[in-house]
Amino acid sequence: MIGITNYSVYVPRRRMRRDMIAAAWGGPAMPGSKAVANFDEDSLTMAQSAAWPLAQSGGAEALSFASTTSPYWQRSAASLIAAACDLPAQTSTADFGGSLRAGATALRAAFDAVAAGSARTALVTAADCRDGAPESAEEMLFGDAAAALAVGRDGLCAELVASVSRSDDFPDEWRRDTDAHVRSFASKYSLARGYTENVVAVGRALFAKAGVQPEQIARVALGSSDGRAHLAAAKALGIPPARVEDVRAGDIGITGAAMPLFLLAQALDRAQPGDLILAIAYSDGTDGFLFRSLDVGRRLRQDGSAMEYPTYQIYRKLRDYWRAAAGGAEISNVLLRREETQNVRLHGSACPQCGTLQFPIAQVCRACHHRGGMIEKNLARRGRLFTFTKDFLYSGPVEPTVMAVVDLEGGGRFLCQMTDVEPAAVEIGMEVELVLRRMREGPGDHYYYWKCRPV
Amino acid sequence: MAGSIKDQVAIIGVGCTKFGDNFDQSFEDLLVEAGFAAFADARIEPERVEAAWLGTFSPYAGNGKASVSLADALRLYGKPITRVENYCATGTDAFRNAAMAVASGMYDVALVAGAEKLKDRPVRGLGWENGHPYQHDGLTAPGVFAMAANRYFHCFGAGREALAKVSVKNHHNGAMNPKAHFQMEVSEAQVLNAPIVAWPFGLFDCCPTTDGAAAAVICRADMARQFRDDYVLVKGLGLAVTSGRPWYDSANDYVGFAATRAASEQAYSMAGIRNPVAEIDLAEVHDCFTWTEISNYEDLGFCRKGEGPHFIGEGRSALSGDLPVNPSGGLKSFGHPIGASGVRMIYEVATQLRGQAGARQVRDAELGLVHNLGGPGSVACVIVLGRP
Repeated sequence: MIGITNYSVYVPRRRMRRDMIAAAWGGPAMPGSKAVANFDEDSLTMAQSAAWPLAQSGGAEALSFASTTSPYWQRSAASLIAAACDLPAQTSTADFGGSLRAGATALRAAFDAVAAGSARTALVTAADCRDGAPESAEEMLFGDAAAALAVGRDGLCAELVASVSRSDDFPDEWRRDTDAHVRSFASKYSLARGYTENVVAVGRALFAKAGVQPEQIARVALGSSDGRAHLAAAKALGIPPARVEDVRAGDIGITGAAMPLFLLAQALDRAQPGDLILAIAYSDGTDGFLFRSLDVGRRLRQDGSAMEYPTYQIYRKLRDYWRAAAGGAEISNVLLRREETQNVRLHGSACPQCGTLQFPIAQVCRACHHRGGMIEKNLARRGRLFTFTKDFLYSGPVEPTVMAVVDLEGGGRFLCQMTDVEPAAVEIGMEVELVLRRMREGPGDHYYYWKCRPV
Repeated sequence: MAGSIKDQVAIIGVGCTKFGDNFDQSFEDLLVEAGFAAFADARIEPERVEAAWLGTFSPYAGNGKASVSLADALRLYGKPITRVENYCATGTDAFRNAAMAVASGMYDVALVAGAEKLKDRPVRGLGWENGHPYQHDGLTAPGVFAMAANRYFHCFGAGREALAKVSVKNHHNGAMNPKAHFQMEVSEAQVLNAPIVAWPFGLFDCCPTTDGAAAAVICRADMARQFRDDYVLVKGLGLAVTSGRPWYDSANDYVGFAATRAASEQAYSMAGIRNPVAEIDLAEVHDCFTWTEISNYEDLGFCRKGEGPHFIGEGRSALSGDLPVNPSGGLKSFGHPIGASGVRMIYEVATQLRGQAGARQVRDAELGLVHNLGGPGSVACVIVLGRP
């Protein structure tokens, strides 16, 4: 029996109200807000944030990253995510892209790997951070988010009953290698011939393959490009809207390659033991799955804190920040490689004599000056603020830059920037978590490092 | 057991440029002005100098790198010259090395020069140079000290009002000093209402970035009377270094600077000082930020930890107080060209001990203290100077 052993989602805390976007350009507003990656977030960091709790609790022999907005054309985001999740070098990593279906395709590949025995456990991450062109419908519609699913054989929270795939080169939405923004034929024809036809065909194929009737389906995780079409497709499959997962268009947005996995995680979280869950992802073809829920008490972590951008201009400035901020010197790969365990894996040294955990990695103990035998140890990603400043001199994209000295749970003191925070809320003693963020933009590369943010 | 060079080295000449936005002076121009002023004050020709030390923190545009920067400026060729860099304690550490060389008997007469040309650069404030390429991104000089100030406030309950008093005092003193970067009084309200640079520091809590140079000619104490009667003696000195990454040290209480405590213990021990607040007549201390001066009172033993706000509040460090601190105006008002500052403090204390400080003269000044604090509070140098 193979299936899903755990799930996690990540939604950035920044929100952009759609009526503000509408007011900036003039014209009608879509309802609600969309979730927006902070200036220091991208698909890679969001996927790492989603994957971290799963990697931490269960490890993984394989890790994949699926996105249409990887920060790299060439360089495996999955490999960096695996390192930041402190997974070992033997981990099989893969990047999936090219289609909004990439997350579901990666999930299918993970099931295949576990079924074939090439990996006992696999972690699938999917994230998208699509920038709708200014003044376009997509600018209002698109939101940023990530999801992660752990696949394996033991400790399942949902068993895979059947899967069906379909390929269909139908050009309804695409982005060329030279395009910054999505292009599409948004029409009734596109919806009928592309989305609905594919979803219904794969849904029916799954019913037939598993020998189930539509009435038996308890929850449906169905991605949607407009926030509406999924309800019509479910109806065509004979499933009433009450059983269809809310795609969260109103408060998060259309989240691209992350959406199918995000909705599946949401469905798993709400399912009762024994429930049948239908999950279908469409784009350039279709991947569909049927699961049976086996409750093992997993629950999504709820992050209720949201920070609204006060103006459209600030949203737009931060959205484009890294494009303009290509300064600084290149960092040699000699240094980057030597410090990977410390800076990416976030290891410190524990003294074999006095036990003091310290960062950065050291050969001589900071506390008792003992030399030798230092034990490399993963630092906790949580702690409390020991002291701070709010700095207006540093040239960051937002003022002030909050600098934090953090006492980590289980030992070690860390210095980093604080992000996702209203400066007025900063106080000594507050609980924070460490998150991987895009730290600096060199002339030729992105540099990732850790920041903290309020829990 | 450390030895002592008490009373073995004398300062026989000092010089200092006007500090400020010296847009029309180059790095070498500054060194020439300060160096030749010190030669003139000591009544010697440059050739009389047998060895020299240059304190400069941050090389820029071909100046300040290695010893040649001083050699070319003063045409001191064919002699031993050493460049010293030790964060903001650069100037005092250059002096310390020169003093030890003279005390060793190696040289009779030596020159110490400190210079910094900060205003040629396109950056705001002091760039965080040669640090880790991204680990510390976001840190600035005020930010580093502000993190300590916030912890101090958390532990001792003081606030920005205490800081403002330091700024008001140092601006008041600087207003009487024609060489100071700023010669203007400020009010507490001005200080408190100024824009925030790095909380809790506003604009008037921060020293400026400044151009300037200072120099001192020193010699063997037993030769000093050949040059002048009112020479100044080195009574004690100390240098102490703690972690340059204090933010990673779980044992660091973050409310003061162990480097200053250790360096002052060394200097007091050599000088035979047991009760600093009673024995020292004036002090030039490192007020890079107003809170740093408050911590300095405590770390230098003028009062106990946590009592610094009272020390300033009661006026004890004012020019009329029992231990005037920063009669020159301090870094706050005199300016802070990094490598020059320590030598400039020596210039000020020597001028005070010689009774030549004019309107800001501390009465009956016999014993003066100089204190530099560098990096994130990691490098401290303390020098005690006295009349013969």
